[in-house]
Amino acid sequence: MSQFKQLFLMHLKMTFREKQAWFWGLFFPVILMVIFMFIFADSSDEDFEASVAVVEESPNEISTAISDQMEIIPTLVVEHELDDRSEAEELVEDQEVAAAVVLPESEDESSILLIVNTEDEQSTSTQVVSGVLNNIVQQMNLQVVGATETYALDFETISSSEHELSYQDFLLTGLIALAVAQGGLFGMVDLVDMRRKGLIKRLRMTPVNMSLFGFSDMIMRLLFSIIQIIVLALIGVLLFNATLHINLLGLVVLFIVGALSFNAIGYFISSFSKTTEAYMGVANIFSFLMMFLSGVFFPIDMMPEWLHPVAHVLPLTYFAEGLRDTMVYSIGIESSTIWFYMGVMALWGVVAYIIGSWLYRRKSIVATR
Amino acid sequence: MHVLEVNHLKKSFGAVQAVKDVSFQVEQGEVFTIIGPNGAGKTTTLEMIEGLVPPNQGEIQFGNLNWKKNSDDIKKIIGVQPQLSAMFDLLTPSEHLQLFASFYDKSRHEDEILKMVNLTEHKDKQVRNLSGGQRQRLAIGMAMVGDAEMIFLDEPTTGLDPQARRNLWDIILRLKALDKTIILTTHYMDEAEQLSDRVCIVDQGEVITIDRPDALIKKLTVEREVRLAFLEHEEAAINSEKVLNALSVVSHVERDLTELKIWTEDPEYTLLELFNFTNKKDYQVDQISIREMSLEDVFIAFTGKEWRD
Repeated sequence: MSQFKQLFLMHLKMTFREKQAWFWGLFFPVILMVIFMFIFADSSDEDFEASVAVVEESPNEISTAISDQMEIIPTLVVEHELDDRSEAEELVEDQEVAAAVVLPESEDESSILLIVNTEDEQSTSTQVVSGVLNNIVQQMNLQVVGATETYALDFETISSSEHELSYQDFLLTGLIALAVAQGGLFGMVDLVDMRRKGLIKRLRMTPVNMSLFGFSDMIMRLLFSIIQIIVLALIGVLLFNATLHINLLGLVVLFIVGALSFNAIGYFISSFSKTTEAYMGVANIFSFLMMFLSGVFFPIDMMPEWLHPVAHVLPLTYFAEGLRDTMVYSIGIESSTIWFYMGVMALWGVVAYIIGSWLYRRKSIVATR
Repeated sequence: MHVLEVNHLKKSFGAVQAVKDVSFQVEQGEVFTIIGPNGAGKTTTLEMIEGLVPPNQGEIQFGNLNWKKNSDDIKKIIGVQPQLSAMFDLLTPSEHLQLFASFYDKSRHEDEILKMVNLTEHKDKQVRNLSGGQRQRLAIGMAMVGDAEMIFLDEPTTGLDPQARRNLWDIILRLKALDKTIILTTHYMDEAEQLSDRVCIVDQGEVITIDRPDALIKKLTVEREVRLAFLEHEEAAINSEKVLNALSVVSHVERDLTELKIWTEDPEYTLLELFNFTNKKDYQVDQISIREMSLEDVFIAFTGKEWRD
């Protein structure tokens, strides 16, 4: 027990004192998340708003009716109420507002003028503003002829469970999966370094229990990954309004299978890498491949069709999907999908471990005596 | 009963025969030194004994224990300081010793070891910030922490400055005082001479000879070199040379101005005869020295090679 404690402390101290571990394990994924959240999460925000200027040169019954209507629509924010059109044009020109709406000058006039900057002609806000105005105009037309609506559009969303997946949730879970995967993938570089320095050989000259050595290393890595998950999840929830509904048991089981599998892949890479540089090279290739092809930053459906088979082979795809199921949809181990995900990852892990230890033994890097 | 017995070890790496035939026995509590030039097979021999490299042929017995049947028991009684001081750069000496102590059933206390290898002051520095000598001392500390009966030190002083070497010698002598058996390799002759109870000379993978250092030197002491210089002009030296050449124990004499180098089988008798003569002639002898034979001479005599560091 004291041996385990000492070995665990050794792994802990070495990780704790290694600045690289902190950078790549925590700082880097956090930065990545913040950047991607700012770039992508903002534009897909549900609380879309467009600021407009309303020009009411001579107030009349119709113009007040329209401006009242506009006030109630949440997507339109009336920032300026003016009585001069040229002033509004200036604001549009400087892109102070998304659009200017010129209301009818008298009850007899029947057109509403929408002024937008040419640059913004195709933008979302222009489309939203014109859509909203169109709606108002149509309502008024109907009122004028005294007709009631025959057809109405009903809107409803459907998702696989009671919880909706926003981009924040998608990115957060994807990045957690990526961080844990990279921890395993890159972490085994220590093994190459220790071998190169003769430390493995040194340890084998003592009565140390080498399986305890490996086991304590694993426990330390799992703990580090738990810290990664907690830190990333907290930032995602507190700063970017991600909503999580966690199935704890499902998450824990999936996490352990995933983390062990990626560690096994790292172990496999270490078995044929003579230097740390060689190790990092291989791990980077694998990491980049997974980063962009496993649905971490954007859904796999957005990728070209011919890339889909690749995505469906990579273990990170299943880890990310599994984390989404257990952290956002609250799906647990009762679901066969989760077991399928874990099965694919475990297959990767077991195969990598078997080939890795076979290579180790064959090259007698760590001779078993 | 020998604590270690090695019989006819052989080891080849591909076409290279690193160790051709090495046999020796080590007694409890002695310092046993293996000397030889680089590539003589010292480290390979040690690594076979330490169980790191399986020999192609030969036997290694630790009392009743051998690697095939009792590897776990052997690891408990040996402590090893490998040539490459393999350590965790980010851990401190204190942490290294605690870690290694946990591997053994019985272990020596960290503070005791630190004191013994003079690292108490540096015990909380990370290893990457230690000097070569400090690392080497820690490596020896790590070999001792399991309270091993037998300690293997592979070239412990290579690459150290003279002061650090002396410190290490002290440590080795302290270990000997604790009745530990020490097996040491070195390519420094003075080190072997100072520390060892017995020396084993190895060259090209074979044992040349094994004996106590002074006995080895004595074996060769057929002729000693005597040097002397006169205060007067060359005349004194020239005349003395003639007298010396007449003595049967003197094999030959070399003269360089007022200096003489004399090779003789009996330095005492030679000098007595010489002083009788100089006394009569009233010549003033300025300097006189009898050169001690060293292990270096022994090595050269046994291997027929110049010593190379």
